[in-house]
Amino acid sequence: MVLPVTSRAAWTATPLPAVIVPDAVGRALAAEVRRRVEGAGYTRFTRVDRGSYDVATSPNEAELLEALTGVAAEVTGRSLALVEARVLRLHPGDYLLVRHDRVHDDRPIELVLDLSPAIVAGAEVHYRHRGQVFFTVPSAPGSLAIVERGPTVMCNHTYVSRRLAGASVVRLMVLLRAEPRGDEV
Amino acid sequence: MASWRLGPAWSDEARLAEEWRRAEPFPHLVFDDFVPEDALAELVGVVDEEPIERYEADIYAFEASAPEPKTSGLRDLRDAFARTLAEPLGRVTEKSLRRADLRAYAYRAGHYLLPHTDHQEDVGRALAYAYYFPSPEPPEGGELELFRCTREGGELVAIESARLIEPRPNRLVVFDVSDVSLHQVREVLAGLRPSLSGWFYP
Repeated sequence: MVLPVTSRAAWTATPLPAVIVPDAVGRALAAEVRRRVEGAGYTRFTRVDRGSYDVATSPNEAELLEALTGVAAEVTGRSLALVEARVLRLHPGDYLLVRHDRVHDDRPIELVLDLSPAIVAGAEVHYRHRGQVFFTVPSAPGSLAIVERGPTVMCNHTYVSRRLAGASVVRLMVLLRAEPRGDEV
Repeated sequence: MASWRLGPAWSDEARLAEEWRRAEPFPHLVFDDFVPEDALAELVGVVDEEPIERYEADIYAFEASAPEPKTSGLRDLRDAFARTLAEPLGRVTEKSLRRADLRAYAYRAGHYLLPHTDHQEDVGRALAYAYYFPSPEPPEGGELELFRCTREGGELVAIESARLIEPRPNRLVVFDVSDVSLHQVREVLAGLRPSLSGWFYP
């Protein structure tokens, strides 16, 4: 994983820090992770007033998660620890609404690793500040988005068109929190 | 001015009231051939004059007129709609209805409105409605889908699709607004789905 030098600069350049690291993982690794998660099994979420998608909680991907945490630490300049990870899979007709998201008041870092086998037109993750989209994570297989989840930041995964028969969007969502410094209890 | 006239179905309000109460998954009514044929062209002409723009959020993507009509033609159409329907609909649904709002919508390929209830505390929406008018490119998709919500101890525990209503030209659909009136406009896959839609208020 090679970190573009611009990522760190981009992170510090905005009051709502968010960057995309392109080509964070290769096609082969993404395919391997998809296969393992598929093997472990997804659960279908059917509360359509909030979202419609497949989810695999706590994927057994320690090595990948450690590497991603390292990249995020380098970009953000913080010491970070894994809080939770899950894999979301969206097919045509699927989505996650803002009302399905939750507020974070301790400014954790959220990662979105695009593990999709191919680009899916219009399949995006929108990060919103007070309702307005300030950062769009496009469909870009292999890319890693790093976003600070301030208390005013909410997120939704856009609707995947039914016109895209056979499309599959797979995203590894990771939440990281700053590790307490040594002098903190 | 384009006007609304009640068809023969309204001569038996007791039957409509029974249909309303029995409708599943929540109270609703569907009226076909709602506007007399000879009034349709004028109605479409009024709507054609109204500017529309694209609206997009996590829950929807469509083109629509502004919440308050820009043209006097659409304002008149809205006021006439409320004048014509508020009283009889109020009797049928046993709700106190006085006014309605109205917007023109154009759902094109890829447009949708995801599941929601329309219910908002303090907004006062009593009934929702959608009127589909003839399309130059009849839509594929764009059905109104009604969901059955199962609650246990105040918690929503299950949702299932219960009815699909096609957006047939000259069809009016009226449905209840409550915390379980979950519905969506399914994605339009091709063509154009033009409609007028809004809510009745006390």
